[in-house]
Amino acid sequence: MSEALVATQVPEVSASGTSGALRFWRRLRTQRAALVAASVVALLVLIALAAPLLTALEGQDPTTYHPSLVDSARGGVPVGSLGGIGADHWLGVEPQTGRDLFARLVYGARVSLGVALAATVIQVFLGVVIGIASAIGAGWVDQLLSRITDIFVAMPLMIMSLALLAIVPSSFPRPVLVTLVIGFIAWGNIAKIVRAQTLTLKGLDYVSAARLSGWGTWRIARRELLPGLAAPVITYAAILMPVNISVEAALSFLGVGVKPPTPSWGQMLTAADVWYQAAPQYLLLPAGALFVTVLALTVLGDGVRTALDPRAASRLRVGTGSKREARAAGKDSGAAPEEGSA
Amino acid sequence: MRHPSVSRARVAAISAGLVLALGAAACGPEDNDAKGAGGDSTPHKGGTLTVLNSEAQTDFDPARLYTSGGGNVPSLVFRTLTTRNRENGAAGSKVVPDLATDTGRPNKDATVWTYTLKKGLKYEDGTAITSADIKYGIERSFAAELSGGAPYLRDWLVGAADYQGPYKDKKGLSAIETPDSRTIVFHLNKPEGEFPYLATQTQFTPVPKAKDTGTKYEEHPVSSGPYRVVSNENDGEHLVLERNTHWSAATDSERKAYPDKIDVRSGLDSSVINQRLSASQGADAAAVTTDTNLGPAELAKVSGDKKLAARVGTGHFGYTNYIAFNPTVKPFNNVKVRQAISYAIDRSSVVNAAGGSALAESATTFLPNQKSFGYTPYDLFPAGATGNAAKAKELLSEAGYKNGLTVTLTHSNAKDFETSPEIATAIQDALKKAGITVKLQGLEDNDYRDKIHNVKTEPGFFLAHWGADWPSGGPFLAPIFDGRQIVKNGANFNNGLLNDTSVNDEIDAINKLTDLDAAAKRWGALDKKIGEQALTVPLFHPVYKRLVGSDIKNVVISDWTGVLDISQVAVK
Repeated sequence: MSEALVATQVPEVSASGTSGALRFWRRLRTQRAALVAASVVALLVLIALAAPLLTALEGQDPTTYHPSLVDSARGGVPVGSLGGIGADHWLGVEPQTGRDLFARLVYGARVSLGVALAATVIQVFLGVVIGIASAIGAGWVDQLLSRITDIFVAMPLMIMSLALLAIVPSSFPRPVLVTLVIGFIAWGNIAKIVRAQTLTLKGLDYVSAARLSGWGTWRIARRELLPGLAAPVITYAAILMPVNISVEAALSFLGVGVKPPTPSWGQMLTAADVWYQAAPQYLLLPAGALFVTVLALTVLGDGVRTALDPRAASRLRVGTGSKREARAAGKDSGAAPEEGSA
Repeated sequence: MRHPSVSRARVAAISAGLVLALGAAACGPEDNDAKGAGGDSTPHKGGTLTVLNSEAQTDFDPARLYTSGGGNVPSLVFRTLTTRNRENGAAGSKVVPDLATDTGRPNKDATVWTYTLKKGLKYEDGTAITSADIKYGIERSFAAELSGGAPYLRDWLVGAADYQGPYKDKKGLSAIETPDSRTIVFHLNKPEGEFPYLATQTQFTPVPKAKDTGTKYEEHPVSSGPYRVVSNENDGEHLVLERNTHWSAATDSERKAYPDKIDVRSGLDSSVINQRLSASQGADAAAVTTDTNLGPAELAKVSGDKKLAARVGTGHFGYTNYIAFNPTVKPFNNVKVRQAISYAIDRSSVVNAAGGSALAESATTFLPNQKSFGYTPYDLFPAGATGNAAKAKELLSEAGYKNGLTVTLTHSNAKDFETSPEIATAIQDALKKAGITVKLQGLEDNDYRDKIHNVKTEPGFFLAHWGADWPSGGPFLAPIFDGRQIVKNGANFNNGLLNDTSVNDEIDAINKLTDLDAAAKRWGALDKKIGEQALTVPLFHPVYKRLVGSDIKNVVISDWTGVLDISQVAVK
């Protein structure tokens, strides 16, 4: 009898997996803000990937000095209006050096987005593995892993990063180092969420059934638990991305992030902070880029969360269009029987 | 000529620090004469001068202060045997009598120096200043608990090497004689024609033995100058100075002492100081700073405003920023590689990185571009304004690096626009054109200082700077190029590890000269001779720009300090 139960249960789970993705897309589609945010993020990623192409189009590169484009007698302020914006330098040049700001900005996007994405992947991987392991492992494994998780959650990320980045020799490639430091310190919260969710899933009938049918722990984790964890993990990852971007910028701002002459938005902010009166665009460009990126990722993250968790309304309450959402919800419930019958 | 000990590590730091200790808004030889910043009318006595600083005056004991020419605020309270001439520009780099009647009378080979005190000199309590008090002041600077001053006295005075100070050794220093209450004689163990410069330092301040409270003396040092310390809060963070009624202008032709009261407030952020000086509201209108320069961005803003620009003083302090080579590290052992880098350097980029032509003057000589140092113009490896990449490539291929070269440039991560990443990246970009790939090694500032001043860890190619303790070629060249000053176990400043007998001999010969002008000429010639070895690439000499409040009058900036002299300032 139990075998029969499992036989009916398992296909159903996988079926709800595909319909889940569809339902997620339908719900996400109703949130205009999330869609705009998603396109902004896509555009930024595209810009970062195409940085060499874009700068070649402009005819510049991020590191060449142009001493003739700054007014040496006035502290090195860019010559010309709006910080030297023109056909050759689309966003003007950097004070004191005359380096092209457009090139530095788009190359800076590579560092900011690349480091944040890679760090997020590390955090999610560690969080999921440790979260599941402590939830399904033996009592002592849970105790040990949970305490370790607690320690990492309690660690102040910035201070730990500053300490670690300060002691590693400067010959180690910095972007990789920053990624590793952020990734390996700030995985605690995601591990806690995964553990809690796994404990809930573990008590559900279909998981018990799978266990009763003799499936191994690994197979259960992979086939039964992971799909159920997708929603909270994706949601949390979407929230981690903008946090990681901010952390990378902050570390570079404090001078322990990527090293010159590699451009990064945080580093541009540091160099620009004293120039806010004399050359405002120098500060506004990296600040604006960071603002747009973090905002877009945050709105997208919220949209993803709302789409994955029908019970929760958007925390941000922007562009959710309650009517459209209600309509989509109606479609959902209407679609459910169809799927069931199919 | 510095003592080969750990205290040397401080010298480089102090050289920069001196500027802090001395400084104030400056008004410079080229764009302002005596009238510069607000000196449009005659100065009058009275009022309160506010000093807005970032660094607190944590040391106020004349034994512990490390100054060039007696310091700025300290010089209001402490008079010395000689002092710096309080005049604009080059005239200000002369040494003049202060407590003494002249700048010192040497014997034939400049090993014995005799001074006579002026008549009628008094402390703030009305008691007379005697030559024995000056001797005592120097002796107590040898006490371990009062260390901090320049190491010259221990180096130069006969039998002073192991002297422990008057608290432990009651006999005192036999190298200093006081035959009567107005005469003091110094016996040196080698000829030192520049002794009058040393006598400007605060260790030559009279300290009455009866009033000496050891380490607590700095809370209320007995004044010999125009002002006395009324209060000293939070270890020098807030100092209040008022007139010393027993000081007489008749015995002091250097200090003008116009304001009645001086209120020194420190612990302020540099941007706050510049903001307050430019706004000049309330008491800030009668304010100056003795330690905060205008940065490039601030200068860009100020120079766009004519009224503000008129309140900026410009000064030059004898100081050089340069690239140092360690010829024991490959490939810098090859003189052609060092020359190639000298040719490839783009000084316009470097100057811009340091704040532009208003804050830095490009340098091709190691000596600062001032007459008192013996400045002799030369450009042995002409790079032009933006570098000579073709000549550099030619030299590199002669040296066996036809396909270019990869080197590591060590620099500090301090945000000082001197040895910082901004300068390093400018060099990196310039050398790229000559086929030299530069990898940057940025170190935390203390780590950087430790590494470059230790012969065992000294990198091959790094950013460095040097400032003199007084405006002369001697203290500028000798610590860096005198082979006998290479320190194997301790802080070493001879970066190029140069030990050339002809250089060492010439240094000794010049030290014997008591004619400072003649000495200056020979320092200049020696600088050029050393320059041929391409052990350094001089980059730039900094220029100091500082704001003063709108009520400030009589701004005087000498080439000795490069910054406004607080003893000349009037607020009415």
